[in-house]
Amino acid sequence: MSDDPKISNPQPDAEPTATRSTVPMWIFSLTLVLIYLGAVYFDHHGGWFDAKVYGPYASADQLDSYQPKSGAAAAIARGKKLYEMNCGICHGVDGLGKPNIAPPLAGSEWVKAKGVQRLTHIPLTGVSGSIMVENQPWNLSMAAMGAALPDADLAAVLTYIRASWGNGMGEVTADDVKAVRAAIGAHPQPMIGDQMMKMPE
Amino acid sequence: MKNGFSVFIAAFIALGASWCGFVLAPLLQLGTAKQTAVLVSGDTYPIQRTGDATLGLQVYRANDCAACHTEQIQQSGVAFDVVLTGLGKNPMAVRSAIQETCELIYKDNPKDKNLYDMLVEHLSPEQPFSPATILNSVTKTIADSASDKITAAGGKVETHLIPTGADISRGWGVRRSVAADFLYDSPVQLGSQRIGPDLADVGARLGNANWQLLHLYAPQSVVKNSAMPPFRFLFEIKKIDDAPSPEALNLPKEFAPPAGCEVVPKPEAKQLVAYLLSLRADAPLYEAPFTPAQVSTNAPAK
Repeated sequence: MSDDPKISNPQPDAEPTATRSTVPMWIFSLTLVLIYLGAVYFDHHGGWFDAKVYGPYASADQLDSYQPKSGAAAAIARGKKLYEMNCGICHGVDGLGKPNIAPPLAGSEWVKAKGVQRLTHIPLTGVSGSIMVENQPWNLSMAAMGAALPDADLAAVLTYIRASWGNGMGEVTADDVKAVRAAIGAHPQPMIGDQMMKMPE
Repeated sequence: MKNGFSVFIAAFIALGASWCGFVLAPLLQLGTAKQTAVLVSGDTYPIQRTGDATLGLQVYRANDCAACHTEQIQQSGVAFDVVLTGLGKNPMAVRSAIQETCELIYKDNPKDKNLYDMLVEHLSPEQPFSPATILNSVTKTIADSASDKITAAGGKVETHLIPTGADISRGWGVRRSVAADFLYDSPVQLGSQRIGPDLADVGARLGNANWQLLHLYAPQSVVKNSAMPPFRFLFEIKKIDDAPSPEALNLPKEFAPPAGCEVVPKPEAKQLVAYLLSLRADAPLYEAPFTPAQVSTNAPAK
């Protein structure tokens, strides 16, 4: 019985167990680099979770700085809307006026005047009686349609009228309107046609 | 299972975090979205669809138009144009300021030399003044510095913002699509494949209802070599009884029905066309600003 089964068929040692070993440094470094790159990408493209910021804009600040400035174009666009609400019914959205209702604004010498004082007067006080527009007499009356509009809005309407339909005239500022409104005073009377005709531009 | 509870917690956190990111956060951001104001004009955007167009969305969905068409215009950047709108009181100073800024920018680029020469000729004192684009497709920094210099000299300039990108240069739209465009879409038909062109702005691009009907009945009759299948089942071919129907399609010969017959759109076709014409992503918004073309020019009175 010298045959020892243990020698020819050795028993395995105890069940192998996992040992703890340190995570290699390169995995740490790679993770840190990836986190850093992710943060940079997020900073450039994420918009900081703002619902209003879409690509290609990076942040709300950048989007703010890209908003169109309220220049002459903005005033004209606003003036167009106000004109169509307040004036277009009589003077027509094409500015051509309507027979026996309102004289034309397109090409009218009242609109194309160098100064804006007389033009600003008309919506602030209204007109009654006969005036000449493009060598045609118009004997009608207009209410003070613009008296209720704020200075900036009336200025926008007048700017639109002067810039549109080939009139090609410059802008009317809110200060112009303010000055005319101050000159008229608190209780405007409709201008009589003759008075209006004599008024300086 | 060993550590079953930890595995459950880990899975819960992983799924919960992505649910928060993909479902909850967008809901909090856009779930209560309302109509917004269009830039400059202050109009309300978007406008609720008409009844026909609302039904048309369901026809669009039923025919799986989104399998071949997307409804999302993409944008890769923005460029700026600087437009001179007035010479002010000192035209000489403005002209030299323009010359200075433009020379700096156009100098290095021989391609722009022609543009520059044309500009110089346009602005020469002999010519009557008319608005002119001074700088075309430049960055914001360049546009701002140029407009500052010219304004300081007394001139009047406008800076126009123009979205750029492949979709926009294809003419599919004027700006990128944003969430506000889809406010009244239920369900939203974003689509993912572009076998056909993008339709986010198709109402502004191809706004003719008759063209749209012809295109649905026989795409190749209006777009040669179109890959779109015809949607003839949205139309009815019927005998002309007394007089031809006013709705009958005016088809070219090779697509026309047999003599004595006419092609009339069914309600579905009209609804689908109403929906297509309601697809307009052409309003400048805070989140997608641009300068509308020709905002300040009206056709002269005749």
